[in-house]
This record gives sequence, C-alpha cells and structure tokens, in this order.
Amino acid sequence: MTTGELQPTEQVAPATRWKDFRAGFIAIMPIWLGSIPFGAIYAVSALNAGLTPAQTLAMSLLVFGGAAQFTAVGLFAAGATPLTIIITTLIINMRHMLLAASIAPYIQRSAAWLKGVQAFFLTDESYAVALRRFLEGGGSPAYQLGVNISLYLTWQWSTVAGILLGSIIPDPAAYGLELIFPLTFIGLIVPLLRKRTNVLVAALSGALAIIGALTIPGSWYILIAGIVASGVGAWITRSPAMKREA
Amino acid sequence: MSTWLTILGMACVTYVTRATMLLVLRNEMAPWLRRWLDYVPVAVFAALILPQLLLRKQGDTQMLVLGPAIPAGIVAALVSWRTNNILLTILAGLLVFWGLRWLGM
Repeated sequence: MTTGELQPTEQVAPATRWKDFRAGFIAIMPIWLGSIPFGAIYAVSALNAGLTPAQTLAMSLLVFGGAAQFTAVGLFAAGATPLTIIITTLIINMRHMLLAASIAPYIQRSAAWLKGVQAFFLTDESYAVALRRFLEGGGSPAYQLGVNISLYLTWQWSTVAGILLGSIIPDPAAYGLELIFPLTFIGLIVPLLRKRTNVLVAALSGALAIIGALTIPGSWYILIAGIVASGVGAWITRSPAMKREA
Repeated sequence: MSTWLTILGMACVTYVTRATMLLVLRNEMAPWLRRWLDYVPVAVFAALILPQLLLRKQGDTQMLVLGPAIPAGIVAALVSWRTNNILLTILAGLLVFWGLRWLGM
C-alpha cells in the first residue's frame, strides 16, 4: 500500500481545509443508513433497561460506540456490576487500538491536541472511510474530522430520536437490519481485496474469528484474529519476491 | 449515581483504546511494523464481518447457522467489487436477505 501525502495542517489554507472537511462529511453519509435505526433502537433499549433519557444520551455522547453501547445496555438490564460493564466495554473496544495504530502514520504530523480530538471519534466506520481516502492519496486530517463529526452527529440525533419516539420505533432485528453492519463493512473492505495478500489475510482472519467466536468467550476473537492475520500478512510479504507480487 | 459512574468509566476506557496508539506512535515506524499495520484494516474487518454472517448467539454461546445472511453477504461483496459503492452494496445485500427470507430460507 502506498503512503498518502502527509500534509502538515499548518500549511493548508482554511478554504482547502473546509473543502476537505465537507468532502469527508459527505463521504460517510451512506453509512448513516446503518447508524440511524440503531442509534434510535439503542435509545429505546437503554430506556427499557432503566437508564434515564439523560444517561442514554450521555452514553452516546461520551462512548460513541454501537457495539459497546448495546452490550452495556444488555448488561445494565441484567443487573451487572459497574466493573463488569466497564471491563466488557474495554474488551469490545480493544480493536480500536489496532485501527488507531494503522491510521496513525497518516496523521503523524497533526498536533497532539488534534490527534486527541480525532481519537475521540474513532469508530470502525469512520476509520475505514478516512483510511480509504488516505490510501487513495487524497486524505487529510480535515477530511478525517469531517467523517468523524458527520457520523458523531448522526449517532447523537438518532439517539435523541429514539428517546423522543420511544416504543413506536420498530425493532430493526425484526427486519434483519442488523445485517446492515456486516454489509457496510463488506462495502468498506472489498475495495481493498484487489491486492492478493489482502485476500489471504482476510480469509485467514475470517477463519480465525469464526473459530475464536465459537471457542473463546467474549469478543477477544476480533483482536486476536486481527493481530494474528495481519502479522501473517506482514510476514509473508517480508521477502522481496513476494513484495513485488503483492 | 452508579449508572453515571459506569458510563463515565466506559467513556474513559473507550477513549484510552482510541487515543493510545494515535498519541504514542509519533516517530517514523520500523518498516516491519508499518507493513503489519497495513494489513490491519482487512484483518479486523474480516474478523467483524464473517462471524456476523455465519454465527448466531444462542444464549451465551455462538452457533454456526447457515442462513440467508450468507448469500446476502456474497452478493453484497460482488456488488461492492463491481461498483465500489457502499449504498448499493448494503441495499443489494438487504434485498437478497429479504427475498430469501420471504422464500422461507
């Protein structure tokens, strides 16, 4: 993979920054499709689990992670201890460390405060959309911020919609809408599969994840499959002969 | 009160997972690490996708289920390959899923 142009933000004209921000904001709009129903249904299940509207919104504002929020709500409903909920959240979100590490080279020249801000908004989807742009060579911190804010705002107002509309919102699971997540991820990953080693890494990781999910409790399997399969990819491409092919 | 503290704790651990690597990896990375990280997106997303298509949660354990989600995923992948369009990918997958479910799969 090629490294995108690393642009120091300091030298970018505000007009360009605004254009990039808008482009990022728009680029992730298709993914709103998945966020809106689930932001709303998260809110409904959080209220049902006994959280107040303020707590329900606060979790979306502060945690901003669908998988972790849904799991936490289930745990709240089951009367789990705070420590259990916090540790479960940590395990679910551990994969962010991998994603953050992989996008770090592209924003190395950003100021620390900006990295800190971007980090707050890092999700699977926003990461993938921003990274894709970096890989194409057109990425910038402003673009990434546009992607981030776009998805963040959507998650917030769909949470609010869920709080206000409550139980008149149908359960997305009844329509198989939970399938939107893997389908979105497919749309994000398949363009990367034109590289042969990427296909191999994806196949290996998928197989490890299935085996892991069936045998290891919790969601550790995502982290394990991710580390092992990407490591194997790097190991395979270490020799010059393979590198050319990949 | 404990609910608020729990939410705060969730926010803190989540932020740590998001920020650590962005703030720590600041200098030029070793080539092997860089190459490793280049494979992270495909690896992580494959690990997120396949279990969601092939497994169903039954109580506390996961079970292998061959249902309409699998052809839906395959069609979505083909559409994504041809069009590179996320919206079309999602819609194609959902249509196949609904169609097969309507047919009783």
